[in-house]
Amino acid sequence: MLNKIYNWIDERLDITPLWRDIADHEVPEHVNPAHHFSAFVYCFGGLTFFVTVIQILSGMFLTMYYVPDIKNAWESVYYLQNEVAFGQIVRGMHHWGASLVIVMMFLHTLRVFFQGAYKKPRELNWIVGVLIFMVMMGLGFTGYLLPWDMKALFATKVGLQIAEATPIIGPAIKTLLAGHPEIVGAQTLTRFFAIHVFFLPAALLGLMAAHFLMIRKQGISGPL
Amino acid sequence: MSEKKHRVSRRQFLNYTLTGVGGFMAAGILSPMVRFALDPILKEETGQDMVAVAQVKDITTEPQRFDFKVKVKDAWYESEEPRSAWVFKDENGDIVALSPICTHLGCTVNWNGDKNNPNRFFCPCHYGLYEKDGTNVPNTPPTSPLHRYEYEIKDGTLYLGKAKPRGEA
Amino acid sequence: MHRGKGMKFVGDSRVPAVRKPNIPKDYSEYPGKTEAFWPNFLLKEWMVGAVFLIGFLSLTVAHPSPLERVADPTDTSYIPLPDWYFLFLYQLLKYSFASGPYTVIGAIVIPGLAFGALLLAPFLDRGPERRPSKRPVAVGMMLLTLAAIVFLTWESVVTHDWEAAAEQGKIRAEVEIDTNAEGYKILEANTCLTCHGENLQGGPAAPSLVGTGLSPEEVANIAKNGVGSMPGGLFQGTDEELQKLAEFVAGLDAE
Repeated sequence: MLNKIYNWIDERLDITPLWRDIADHEVPEHVNPAHHFSAFVYCFGGLTFFVTVIQILSGMFLTMYYVPDIKNAWESVYYLQNEVAFGQIVRGMHHWGASLVIVMMFLHTLRVFFQGAYKKPRELNWIVGVLIFMVMMGLGFTGYLLPWDMKALFATKVGLQIAEATPIIGPAIKTLLAGHPEIVGAQTLTRFFAIHVFFLPAALLGLMAAHFLMIRKQGISGPL
Repeated sequence: MSEKKHRVSRRQFLNYTLTGVGGFMAAGILSPMVRFALDPILKEETGQDMVAVAQVKDITTEPQRFDFKVKVKDAWYESEEPRSAWVFKDENGDIVALSPICTHLGCTVNWNGDKNNPNRFFCPCHYGLYEKDGTNVPNTPPTSPLHRYEYEIKDGTLYLGKAKPRGEA
Repeated sequence: MHRGKGMKFVGDSRVPAVRKPNIPKDYSEYPGKTEAFWPNFLLKEWMVGAVFLIGFLSLTVAHPSPLERVADPTDTSYIPLPDWYFLFLYQLLKYSFASGPYTVIGAIVIPGLAFGALLLAPFLDRGPERRPSKRPVAVGMMLLTLAAIVFLTWESVVTHDWEAAAEQGKIRAEVEIDTNAEGYKILEANTCLTCHGENLQGGPAAPSLVGTGLSPEEVANIAKNGVGSMPGGLFQGTDEELQKLAEFVAGLDAE
């Protein structure tokens, strides 16, 4: 039955080559930890992607309860963590995952750096990778404010002051991020929410697609 | 078929293990999230407090409208919502408290609202009609009787709870 | 493969009508030792992922994510702390060469140089050598940066008062405090409020006075002789006042 459906679709769209291309592309054996245990360092990139998937999924589910508004944000986070079944786990996945994604990405970056894997012809992929790093830091910074608790508010105030220290355009950047020249409040929260949930993830998806396409095109760098 | 054909090839074995591990990861990630999302339908319904509405001595055989407020807890948001009820005593002297929400499409019904249909509840939206005891009049839009409030009487005061379909209250 | 004239298509589409057999490629054609992405490589990758996931889920079960009390912009005594991966930057801004008039150095120039160098690493380190031992400058710079980040994060962690941080962020039961009560006036007169807060909610230097669970005698003793970091002798009133104060504080219960 499933085979028949598959054949029906395949006859019309010729999908077999699409997944065959992904499934059958060859991977060098030196990145497989089953062959050389030291190859576990090659897992960090995959784990970064894995945590990112967890982040996207848990984030999607969290927005079912979360409200980006200074009157309701904290209440809704408190509610979803304490009253909703598995709320602690889902929020925990998003909270701890945010830290783990930074750790994994950091280790991945170090692996690539110390192996010199960014050298010709992979310069562009390294740049895309560093941009992903910055986007992730931005996601961490904007996400920190969303529960609207004490540490969120005051850490964001400090962060915005750092942005303000930029010469010439600093105050403009701060106002643009905070939505108000002085107050870190209602407008800041909605802005950070939009940046955290739409703008940065969109940038992240685009950059990750470029990252993976380049890896496929160039292959994984050879052993040292 | 020979014995050999039934043996699992290395590739097949890897495929099965791979799908198994993948399924485990998907289940591990998704099951907490799905349970999290399904929480509203699995949450036990909280009982509603009985609210004092009227003095029993004020209730006559003629339906009267009483307004009252109930406390509603919507997750972290608590509010008071206005409700109303048509309350009267039936032939046996039992108190009947009808919800004014038309069972057709949720408009509010009125007692004697239509001059051509005295002593009936009338819904102005689609001309639905109900008898005094809440039974829907055949050949008008509503298909079921008006809901009845759960009630109890304490010290001469009428308390109302939830409105439930006839037969359950 | 069939090309050019005579190719058959499905209807008027561009999908070829001749199906290729659905068999995996022969890897012997590639140089070096390789294996298929699916299932060989992915299986190992996913096994690592599964082990990781178990640890990760255990973490979420064992440690509920922290949530402090709702943001109160008027609380000026709160000492902020960013998420741990920004701690090094936070610590950097505490040093005199990177703060005050030089904030721009700590906030923009140093991180900007570091990230700029990271971004442009392939163009700064151009040699063909990949082994770390063959490119000492790049590796040395990276090790130095790493050491600096570890050191700054470490400094930030050890100089932060974590107990006070946990105390200042606690979710507190809200209690209406009768500021006209005699006990409150006595607290005010004896400067208790400067540390314990106007709503007795506590602060970075002192705990909340609400719901202490102490008896009036214990409260009176603490008020007179101090406890922990609170010195004795702060209370200057009469014994009668002390009694009233103690009863007032002991009577403050979280709802």
